[in-house]
Order: sequence, then C-alpha cells, then structure tokens
Amino acid sequence: MDNLYFLLQQMLYFAIPLLIVALGGMFSERSGIVNIALEGIMLFGAFFGLLMVKYIQDMQGREVIENIAKQQLVLLVGLLVASLAGGLFALLHAYASINMKANQVISGTALNLFAPALSIFIARSIPFTNYTQQVNFRGKAFLIKKVPILGDIPFIGKILFQQAFITTFIGFLILVLSYIIIYKTRFGLRLRACGEHPQGAASAGVSVMKMRYLGVLISGILAGCGGYVFIVTTSTQYNATVSGYGFLALAVLIFGEWKPLRIFLASLFFGLMKTIASAYSGIPFLASLRLPSEFYRMIPFIATLIVLSLSSSKGEGPRALGEIYDAGKR
Amino acid sequence: MEYVVEMLNITKAFPGIVANDDVTFRLRKGEIHALLGENGAGKSTLMSILFGLYQPDKGEIRIKGKPVKIKNPNDANDYGIGMVHQHFKLIHNFTVAENIILGKEDTQWGFITKQKAIEKIVELSEFYKLKVDPHAYIKDISVGMQQRVEILKMLYRDAEILIFDEPTAVLTPQEIQDLMTIMRNLVKEGKSIILITHKLKEIKQVADRVTVLRKGKCIGTVDVDKTTEVELAEMMVGRKVLFRIDKQINEGTENILTVKNLSLVSKEHDRLLLNNINFHVRKGEIVGIAGIEGNGQSELVYCLTGLNHDYEGKIHFKDFDITNRSIRERTALGIGHIPEDRHKFGLVLDYNLAENLILQTYYQKNFQNRGFFQFTFIRNFAEKLIQTFDIRASRGIDTIVRSMSGGNQQKAIIAREVSRSPELLIAVQPTRGLDVGAIEYIHKELIKHRDQGNAVLLVSLELDEIMNLADRILVMYEGEIVACLKTDETDENELGLYMAGAKRGDISNA
Amino acid sequence: MHKFFDKNISLFSSICAIISGLIVGLIIMLFTNPSEAFSAFFTILTGGFQEGFVSISRMLYDAAPLILTGLSVGFSFKTGLFNIGAPGQLIMGAIVAIIAGVHFTFLGAFQWLIALILAGIAGALWAIIPGVLKAYRHVNEVVSTIMMNYIGLYLAVYLVKLVVYNREKNESLYVHANAVIPSIKLGNLTISWGFLIALLIIVIFHIILTRTVFGYELKTVGFNHHAAQYAGMNAKRNIILSLVISGALAGLAGGVIYLNNIGRALEVVDVLPNEGYLGIPVALIGLNNPIGIFFAGLFMSYITLGGFYMQIYNFVPEIIDVIISSIIYFSALVMLFKALLEKLGKRRNVHG
Repeated sequence: MDNLYFLLQQMLYFAIPLLIVALGGMFSERSGIVNIALEGIMLFGAFFGLLMVKYIQDMQGREVIENIAKQQLVLLVGLLVASLAGGLFALLHAYASINMKANQVISGTALNLFAPALSIFIARSIPFTNYTQQVNFRGKAFLIKKVPILGDIPFIGKILFQQAFITTFIGFLILVLSYIIIYKTRFGLRLRACGEHPQGAASAGVSVMKMRYLGVLISGILAGCGGYVFIVTTSTQYNATVSGYGFLALAVLIFGEWKPLRIFLASLFFGLMKTIASAYSGIPFLASLRLPSEFYRMIPFIATLIVLSLSSSKGEGPRALGEIYDAGKR
Repeated sequence: MEYVVEMLNITKAFPGIVANDDVTFRLRKGEIHALLGENGAGKSTLMSILFGLYQPDKGEIRIKGKPVKIKNPNDANDYGIGMVHQHFKLIHNFTVAENIILGKEDTQWGFITKQKAIEKIVELSEFYKLKVDPHAYIKDISVGMQQRVEILKMLYRDAEILIFDEPTAVLTPQEIQDLMTIMRNLVKEGKSIILITHKLKEIKQVADRVTVLRKGKCIGTVDVDKTTEVELAEMMVGRKVLFRIDKQINEGTENILTVKNLSLVSKEHDRLLLNNINFHVRKGEIVGIAGIEGNGQSELVYCLTGLNHDYEGKIHFKDFDITNRSIRERTALGIGHIPEDRHKFGLVLDYNLAENLILQTYYQKNFQNRGFFQFTFIRNFAEKLIQTFDIRASRGIDTIVRSMSGGNQQKAIIAREVSRSPELLIAVQPTRGLDVGAIEYIHKELIKHRDQGNAVLLVSLELDEIMNLADRILVMYEGEIVACLKTDETDENELGLYMAGAKRGDISNA
Repeated sequence: MHKFFDKNISLFSSICAIISGLIVGLIIMLFTNPSEAFSAFFTILTGGFQEGFVSISRMLYDAAPLILTGLSVGFSFKTGLFNIGAPGQLIMGAIVAIIAGVHFTFLGAFQWLIALILAGIAGALWAIIPGVLKAYRHVNEVVSTIMMNYIGLYLAVYLVKLVVYNREKNESLYVHANAVIPSIKLGNLTISWGFLIALLIIVIFHIILTRTVFGYELKTVGFNHHAAQYAGMNAKRNIILSLVISGALAGLAGGVIYLNNIGRALEVVDVLPNEGYLGIPVALIGLNNPIGIFFAGLFMSYITLGGFYMQIYNFVPEIIDVIISSIIYFSALVMLFKALLEKLGKRRNVHG
C-alpha cells in the first residue's frame, strides 16, 4: 500500500509541472500562436529562478535553512523570478511571430537553442556557480514532510499533504484560475476568438495583436514557472536541461484538446508514465522484469506517439493556429 | 427629404482600376435600398468605404446630415452602421450568444455576465422576430440561423443602418423568403437597409429604391415599383458599341465533351454547388459560360479538370469516360486548362519562365531522358514559345516569373497550354486584370485555336468577352444552367436577365 | 546597387542575420568581461586560420557533419516539411556506425565505408515513422520527430551499454582502425574522406535539384503545392521520400562524426549530440540550397573553431551556441531586413 502512495506522490511531482506548462501553451495556442519554445522557456525560467534561490540560501544560516515555513518564502521568491524571466523571454517569440510575421516554428526553435546556451554560458562564467553549468540548491529544504491536520486525512492526506511541496497547490490554483479566465472572462472570450477566426474577432473590434501578445506572454510566465517547479520538486540541481519536458507538455496540450480539465487528466497520465520511467526500481513488479532503464525512459515519448496517432484524427486545435494574421486582408 | 446616409461624389481608385468613379448614393430613413451591379461594378468597394474598411480618395460621407470620417469598423459601429458580410465572420465553436456579445461584452470585474447578455439577446430576438437559440453552437445551426446571428450582432450594437452584402448567396429558397420577411420587419421598426445584390427578383420583392452601378460609375437611382426587370437589367449591363472581333459563328462538328447529371454538394453548408448540370461541347466551337461570380462556374471547372473529385455524375471526353481519371490522365488525353487564379494554380512564381513552360510536359520523352532533363531541347522549346507568343520577359527564358507583368504571365500560361494543341481548352477568366493589348492578343489566340478544329470552353465574368468570342453561350445561375443561346441570337440585356435569375430558358440544346 | 539587393533579398537577410547574431554575442561578451571581449571576438572571427593548415584541416573535418545535417534539414524545408528529427536520425546513424565499426572487423579495409552506408540507412529508417504517421494519421511532424529524437537517444544509449560499452569512460568503445574514416594528405593540409563524401553529396544534390525530374517535382511541391496538384504531381509520395532522404543524410552525418580516431565517442548521457540541431541554422543561413549549405557549414565550423581558441581569453565556448541560436532567431525576421532594405532603397532614391 505504501508503494501506491509513493507512486501517486511521485506522479503528482511529475504531473504538476506538465500541467502548468501545458496550460501556458494553451494560452498561446488558443490565441493562435504556435509555441514550441516551451522547452527553452522552462529552462530559462528555471535557471534564473534557481540562481535566485541559491543566492538566498547561500546567505542563510543553518536555522533558517531548517525552518520549513521560511523556506517556502524562498521557494516563492524563486518562483516569481522564474515566471518573470520566462515571460520576458517569451516576448522574443511574440515579437517575431506577431510583428514580424515570422515562421513560428523557426522562432520557437531559436529560443529552444538559445536558452541552454545562454544559461550554460552565464553559469560557467561566474564564480557563483563554481564555473560549472550546474546550479546547486538545497531542494530538500522545501519538502514539507507533513502538513498539520490535513496530513492526517485518510488516503488523500497521504497523497497530497505528506511529502508535499506547496507548488502542487500552486499548480492546482493555476488550473482553476486558467479555467475561469479562459471560459468566464471577457479576456478569455476575446483570446479564443483570435485563435479561431482572427478576422471575425477584428471585425468585432478586438485587437488581435494585443490578445496574441498577452497569450504568448502568459505562456512564457507559466512555462518559466513550470520549469522551475519541475526542477525544484524533483532534484537538487539545475543542469541545463529539462529532459524534453517542454515537448511532453506540447503533447499534453494536444492530447488535452486545448481544454484545461482535459489537460489536467492528460498531465496525470503522462506524469504516471514519467513516474514509471524514473521510479520503476521502487515498484517490485516492474523491477523484477529486469528491463533496461533506458526502456523506461523511452516510455513517456512512445506513449506520446501512440496517443497522438490515435487522437490526431479527432480533436482539432484552434482553427487559426499558426496562420499568419494579415490585418490588411479581408 | 431626410437622408440618413449620404455618400457624395465618392471616388476610390486602386492600382490599375477606378473602383468608384464619382458615385453618389443616398439612403432614406426606413427604406430598403438595393445596390445593383455586375462583378467589378464597385458595389463592395462603396460599402466597404461606408463601413470604414477603406478611405475614399475624393468625396464626402454624411450621417444624418453631418459630415463624418469613418476610419475603421469601430467608427462605423459608433455611427450606427452595421454590416452582414457575404462570408460570415462567426466563430464556429462559440455559442450564438458568445458571438453576438464578442467585442461588446457586459462585464463585472472582468467576468462576463452571461445572464444579462442572454436576456438582452432574447429580447431583441423576439422584438425583431429573429429566431435564434442563444445556447446553440454556430457549427450546429443552419446557415439561415447563422445569418440571423450576424443580424443580431448588429442590432445588439444598436445599429440603425444595416448593410447586407449578397445575403442570399448561401441560403435555400425558404431561407431567402424568411430573410425578406425579416428585412421588412426591421424597417418597420425604423431601421434603414442597404442591400447589395445582383438578383433582380429579390430587388423586386423587397426593395424600395435601387441604385445601379456599372464599371465604377453610378448609372442612376430609380424606384423599384416604377422600373421593370428588363429595364434594370439594361442599366446593369448597358448597351454599348462593342469591339467585335472579325469571326464567324461556328457550329462545330461532333461532340468532344459531354457532361451528364453533374452535381456537387458543398462541404460546409448543405447546399448544391452544382445542380444536375448537363451540356456538351463540340469540336470547332467556342462555348462561353456566362454568369455572376459565385454561381458555380469555378466549381464546374474544378470538376472538369479533376482538381475536385467529389462530384456525382459523368464526364465523357472524346471516347473516354474521364469521370474517375486523375488530373494528369485528363491532361494527357488532350485537355488544357488556363486557370482562374494564375498565381495559385497556373504558375510557380519562384521558378523561371522555362521551368513554368514545361510544367505540364516535363515528364515526357523529349524533355527528359532517364530522369535527367534535356536542357537543350527545353531551351529551344521555351525560346520558340516566347517568340511565337510574344512573351516579354527581361531576361528571356531565365526570368523569374514573379517579376513578370500580369499580362506576360498570362501569356506564358496560354503559350504553355495552347502549344500542346489540346482538343479541349478550358479557359477561365483568361484576360482578368490585363490591358487592352494583351486582351486582344489572347482573344485572337483563342479564336485561332478554335479555327484549327479544337474546342474551347470559356468561362468569363465579362459579358463583352463572352459575346466577342463564343459561338454558343450557356448561362449559369445558382449552380444550374439556365440558358443556352447562340451568340448571334441574343444580346447583353437578355443575358443580363438570365444572369440575374429573372428568366429561365430552354436548355434542351445545352 | 540596390537592384542587386532587390534580386538577392534572401542572401541579404542571411548576411544580416549572421551579423546580428555575432553582434548579440559581442554584446554578451562585453557584459561579462569587457576588457577581453574584443580580442576574444576577433579570435572567433579569425577562428579557422589560427594555426594555419592544422586548423584549416580541422575546420574541414568538423564541417562535414554540419554540411550533411544542414542538407538534411534544408532538403526537407524545400519540400515544405520541417525535419527537426535530425538529431534523432543522427544518433541512430551514429550507433549503427559504431556497432559496425567495433564488431564488423570481417569487412577488412572497407569497414568504414560499409559502416557509413549502414549509418545512412539507419537514419532513413528512423525518419520513416514520422513520415508514415503524418501521411496516414495526420500527426504533426514537428512533435513526432521531436519524440523520435528522445526515443532514439535512449535506444542508442541502451545499445551502447549493450554491445559497445566502455565502462570506465561511460561512453562507447573506440572503433577498429579499419573503421576510421581515412584522410588524404595534400602537403600540410589533411582532408578527411568524410569531408570529401559530404562534398560529393552536395554535388549530387545540386545535380538532383537542378537537373532531374525528381528534383523538379520536389521543388514544385515545396514552392506551390496547388500548382503541383494542377500539374498532376503526386504530392504524398514525394513528401515521404523527402523525409526518408533527409533521415539518411542525418544518419550519414552521425557516421561521419563517430567513425574517428580522435577520441570522440558516444557518451552515455541524457543529451543528443549538438550537430543534429546545428543543421537548422546551417540550412537557414544556406538558404536551403546545397551550395549555400556547403558554405554555411564551413562558416559554422569556422566560428566554432574560433570559439575553441577563444577560450584563452577566459570566455566559455558556449558563447558560440548563443551566437548561433541568435542567428537562427534573426533569420526568422526576414521582414525586418526587408523593411531595412526598403528604407535604404528609399534613401538612395531621394538622393537620385
């Protein structure tokens, strides 16, 4: 039974970052802009967020490090920095795609290559990180072993409130907010209109350019946030990679048909795949199969391919996704 | 007399064409005023100016007597002007209500107050008798209801002046009647309507006055009750001294193309784009297909050439049943195609002239040997073509086609198609956008092709061109052939009536 | 003068993109270490010639795989497809080449050639899957090729550990002497056969694209698939073929990199070899045509070498990757350069 809890806890660790990034992708693509730069933005946000965390933690004495409540503040500061960095970085993509009407895949690829290059360059040039590309931080300091009262609830308590990170709840909060924003607000309505039929939106008086900028900006903020959450909750070191997570998030977005609740389910599914990939040694049944570790790491990607092959015929994305909007045309 | 809209001496020119030439148009309050004209007459341009999509070069607009400047659709909205476009601007997976409120949402702290919006929509819908279901998704409702949503969009923004751009183009006959009723109700409630159309019957049914435009100029404004359809048709197409090419009317010999029961259903709406088309073309004759744009001519050509395979019916060419044959097979059998959109289908703009000239024949025996091009042969072939057809290009056959003039680009396509001596040459709008010299040249080529014993199927929106070239004329209206006439037995005015759906003829000889 | 630019707007844009990318690099270098920035930058610019023939030979050697991956990406671009799967196809070619290079000693003196050919085939096969998925299930090739990249990575790493593992160094074993791609010596210049093969393939592709029916059909489908349809061409078949050819080229690049005796082996890490991704900027700068790609590959190799030498100025070589990814970004901003060009053109007109 403990194994099950372990599995579910791990699944959340992997699912939440996927969820956050995929929701970010949703805002961009719902406005009509393809954003394959999620991988690079995740990395970019994580890098700056973790630099901030390391900076703060290096200055803190022992008692502060072991004060879990205070460390949550450090975590949040890093999260803000990561989100901000991600948002700013994504503006590059916005400018190229919207103002310059550039090929959105090329622009996205450029960002994906730029982020690790810049982060490695900076990290290896400064003494702060010992001239290496890794950023080490005290990740265990953020782990909440047990939330008082809530942690004692049977079943749910063990999954959600023990061995937990507050980022899980932040993730849920983002999910709820995303749902409300996209479906219940004026902003969400106009954003979706731009992704379906920009000419129609324009003739109704909506500024397509402004909506798309906001869509890409939000995707940058969430991707930066998600990248940071991914590394903070699964590691104690940033090492210039998010292992293809940004692309998995794209698959989650597509599989989730660009809808928040389905994206949540899809991210749970992929989180489970990723969990099996990393934690199979902790699952007696799988460990006994003695399959090579690489096989397990392939699983999320193979699963993605299979899922895409099956679902590509149904579920369409926003109709005007990726089309260059020409205000002059009628 | 109080005019609610006045467009005075409007002139608007685009490169190469004067779309509106000193046009004056006045709309009275509470009337339905039709704007009639053929393709290219200037109706859409004039209304686009009123709606703020274009700025006039000269002239003035007055709303309720006050001079105004309408810089964009939002300005137009502010002045109470709304437009129902020919191609709806609705979001297919939003609900009716969401589409109506888009851009003018009622909100509280940024959240849309849906309930209030729906109440207002239901109110408007009942008041104007525009039946809609606010919760339905656009993709699930009929075209008629979609149009009512577009109308409600205007009313929700308190539009007083409503412009309808070819509103019946996508409707079934029943829906058209419903629309007529709706329009009468709207004016009863004090709205004023401008109806852009080319259909005389509908003008007669519902309009009070009609302004006729032809080739950018305003021919006049008349009362509908006091004018017959014949007179309207005459104003629309005009009586002119035509530039006639010296040719005799040919009767042709045996059939080379036979089309039987050709029908095509639209993928988007539930309409018939082509409705049981039957006709034939004989060797040695030019058959012209006349009609206003959007009545099925393009679709007919796509079916004949194979670009569209989803039709029903049969097509026979020479002794072959080509109904299911591929595009290349049809070309190889002897069909040539001068396409409607020369940039989309007819040319690869980034290739040079030679590469474009071999587009249909590059795989044939002399052009290549075991997969490698025979450049000497190709060069000679291309050189001969540009000489014979007088194609002007700055660097000869090496000119990149994108940099050539429209006339020479078209000449290149014609050279390519005609030089293969196709027994059936399908030419669609072959002189669109060209100058007089090029037009004359191309017309001569088409006649020459016919005189060599071949058949030509000419689809054109220009009546002059049809009258000049065709031996026999078929008129298409709403996806059907409504008339079959010998050119020397008819004139533009009669053709105008057929084109506007006012008359149907005997098509047993088509 | 500006008429020349009008005709060659793409070339102009490429050059502008390169200059802009280099400037971004320079600015970042000035931020981190202003005193040595200019000397370092100068070293980057003169990279290939630092050590005379030795560095030139090295430049040619490094350019070979870049030219091949550039051609792989550029060729698929020409047919309207975006093959971001080059890294995965490359690593599959690499592992097959390494296995053949370590174990197929029975092939004797031509072991290297056979290994190379097998590498190309492996890359081609790896590209078929996304091709089929796109043709039959409409799966977006951007996402599917990226998935294949990661699947390929883990598969390759597994195969290394299975049959060619060098446990001490956590990488693949060195290949047999007969599997090392040989070189020719011309005086002080050493030219590897890898480079010559890349050159040969460039020539072949140039011929295919300019002289054959096949090339003509591929280009037509890429330039204007409506006109291709009008002319009766079979677009689907051409698309799958072009992906397969792209894959073969990337696979070949993998073979060229890893059939060496300079100690470069396939590391057991979570990252794909960079050369796969570098194919994209090579293709973009080279304007997707073989001759351009040849020179773009040389250029990329040239400044990478410069980055290596620049390390004496205390800069991290990743600055080169920063420059390259900036160049990619700027190459997407063609409109910006067009507008710039128009402004320059207008100024000229004003002055007569």
